[in-house]
Amino acid sequence: MKPAPTLLSPAFLHPAGQALPEPLLALRKQRGAALVDMPMPTRKTENWKYSSKYLKLTDEMATSLPTTGKTGSALAVPGYKVVFINGVVMPEASEYPDLDNIRIQRFGDLSDAEASDLVERLDSTLDAKAVQFAGLNTARFEDGLVIRLKPDAALDQPLFIIHEVTADASGSAFPRIFVDAGRNSQLTLVEEYISSGEEAVFVNSVTEFTLAEGANITNIRLSMGGENVQHIGATGVTQQRSSRFESHCVGFGGPLRRHDLRVRLEGKGAECKLNGVVVTQDTQHYDNHTTIEHVAPNCDSEETYRNIAADKSHAVFNGRIHIHPDAQKSNANMSNKNLLLSTGAEIDTKPELEIYADDVKCAHGATIGQLNEESLFYLVSRGIGRREANVLLTMAFINELVTQIPVEAVRDTVQARLSQFFDQAFQEV
Amino acid sequence: MLSIKNLHASVEGKEILKGINLEIKAGEVHAIMGPNGSGKSTLSQVLAGNDAFEVTSGSVTMNGENLLEKETEERARDGVFLAFQYPVEIPGVSNLQFMRTSVNAMRHHRGESEMNAAEFMKLAREVSKQVDLDPAFLKRGVNEGFSGGEKKRNEIMQALMLQPKLAILDETDSGLDIDALKVVSDGVNALRAEDRAILMVTHYQRLLDHIVPDFVHVLADGKIVKSGGRELALELEDRGYAWLGIKDDETAANSAN
Ligand SMILES: Nc1ncnc2c1ncn2[C@@H]1O[C@H](COP(=O)(O)OP(=O)(O)O)[C@@H](O)[C@H]1O
Ligand SMILES: [Mg+2]
Repeated sequence: MKPAPTLLSPAFLHPAGQALPEPLLALRKQRGAALVDMPMPTRKTENWKYSSKYLKLTDEMATSLPTTGKTGSALAVPGYKVVFINGVVMPEASEYPDLDNIRIQRFGDLSDAEASDLVERLDSTLDAKAVQFAGLNTARFEDGLVIRLKPDAALDQPLFIIHEVTADASGSAFPRIFVDAGRNSQLTLVEEYISSGEEAVFVNSVTEFTLAEGANITNIRLSMGGENVQHIGATGVTQQRSSRFESHCVGFGGPLRRHDLRVRLEGKGAECKLNGVVVTQDTQHYDNHTTIEHVAPNCDSEETYRNIAADKSHAVFNGRIHIHPDAQKSNANMSNKNLLLSTGAEIDTKPELEIYADDVKCAHGATIGQLNEESLFYLVSRGIGRREANVLLTMAFINELVTQIPVEAVRDTVQARLSQFFDQAFQEV
Repeated sequence: MLSIKNLHASVEGKEILKGINLEIKAGEVHAIMGPNGSGKSTLSQVLAGNDAFEVTSGSVTMNGENLLEKETEERARDGVFLAFQYPVEIPGVSNLQFMRTSVNAMRHHRGESEMNAAEFMKLAREVSKQVDLDPAFLKRGVNEGFSGGEKKRNEIMQALMLQPKLAILDETDSGLDIDALKVVSDGVNALRAEDRAILMVTHYQRLLDHIVPDFVHVLADGKIVKSGGRELALELEDRGYAWLGIKDDETAANSAN
């Protein structure tokens, strides 16, 4: 007989905040009921194989973090921004674009009719069976943002979403975003996950994008929470005809970091480009699971992920490409390269291809290696210090991806964080 | 300037250098010739401090200081420069970034202020012209996708930028066509100076038509078996290595080049 699985503690099934339209409250309740017998992932759970041991949720962390009070250390970012503190939008710290064809609304401000419409669409981009924790977010969100781009709408600058948790006590936060991109609309959405305070907290976030025909969306996701933050996040994307989705995920490790990114290419000629950079050190962890579904024919996907693991840290990459029977003339490229900066570090990588159409071009490659000794020698033979040579070569490994991030302020933030990383990773070099 | 005494070195337990003795004074140009596998690159790499090679005995001093106990980067900052036989390709690090980091590391060591981007660019453009490399190369990854000749010119460019005290040129002539050979040897000749020593490693004598050495040494099986003036190189060209009792299959076939 199989031992009974450990279930998600019931403590996690009590949502806070009732200031939501009735249809959303009902949805929350319904999702919560469905999670009553949700087993917690273990080593034997296929998509949590390498990461379940890092997930350490306690009942103290089940309570929603308070949503009033200070706005924490939310970054001084230029331009349009929406600040979430502990999963709830802070309007006074936010700056919305004032345009007729772009509507940004909090869940709480939706009419019942609008909320009913949203209920139809929430979770539609994510397969609840594969991404269970997305269901937990739906059972627990207290607030959220719907961003609606009308046909041809375009924002002239990036929209920043700052997700901060203020960990002055143990607890959790469930930020939620839904982006509805109309025909030929354009947006660059930057999400930054940050934290302040020291107590152990749990962040469970979900961001969804639905792209209508010809929509062009860029999503930059920066994961920079502290050593006290366990973060499970999911991003779901559905794409109609000739739409384009570009994603840049830059993640720094933590006690538990998990990101599921799922893209469904549902309309002919849709295209996605997914870039990812992960950097871990000490005993940190980071796990990226990506899935690209080629449902319609003539779609292109290009995925490039790089992991760098120092010290005794652990990075995981699982990249799945699924080409459906009707998806003829699919073009899918996946590259995952991994750099171990120490013999104590671990990287697990697994490309998964499922191809059910015959006329497709599909290429994938994964490598794991260390810094090249010959290259190091060449650099130091020119008087360059050993530490700096290590930094140059490590940067060389991810430079191509960092320079592709289309927002300068984000590149600067990433560079600054990388400098901190190098200071520690190469302090003994 | 450089004094090598009874130098023995091995790689993976196999002895390659078997007692090298060599004295080089400032202002001199020395050529080391020898068949493939005789240990020329090993000697060059040992002098630059590649720890893939283990020095088992002997000594090397430069201007009276023990070179062997210094790290590679310290040797470089003290003026040792090695033009690699096989320059390394480093995608992701631009040539410009690489050279600027290098130049500034040297300046820092000498207590000079760093060169800013504009100053550096000006210098780099000038020098790239001197070795006939399109400045567009500066933006590419270090040696990335460079032809053999371009890599060699890039090595000489670095030597000209860094102005070393001791320049070791490991087969900088190999794989060059006549025009490129001229460019490279002009670069080397521009390096000749009273306070600088040059150690040229070459398989063929043709480079020595352009850069006239003060001394020529023949390296065979890890030892210098003969030393002389430039006429030794000419003699080697005429007669191959065989008259010295050295086996070399290639030179006979290639000496016509
Ligand atoms: N990294 C290495 N590992 C093993 N053997 C090496 C290595 N480098 C050189 N050797 C050996 O040392 C000998 C001398 O090589 P090298 O110094 O490159 O000669 P040359 O430059 O004169 O052609 C050769 O037999 C070569 O195979
Ligand atoms: Mg050689």
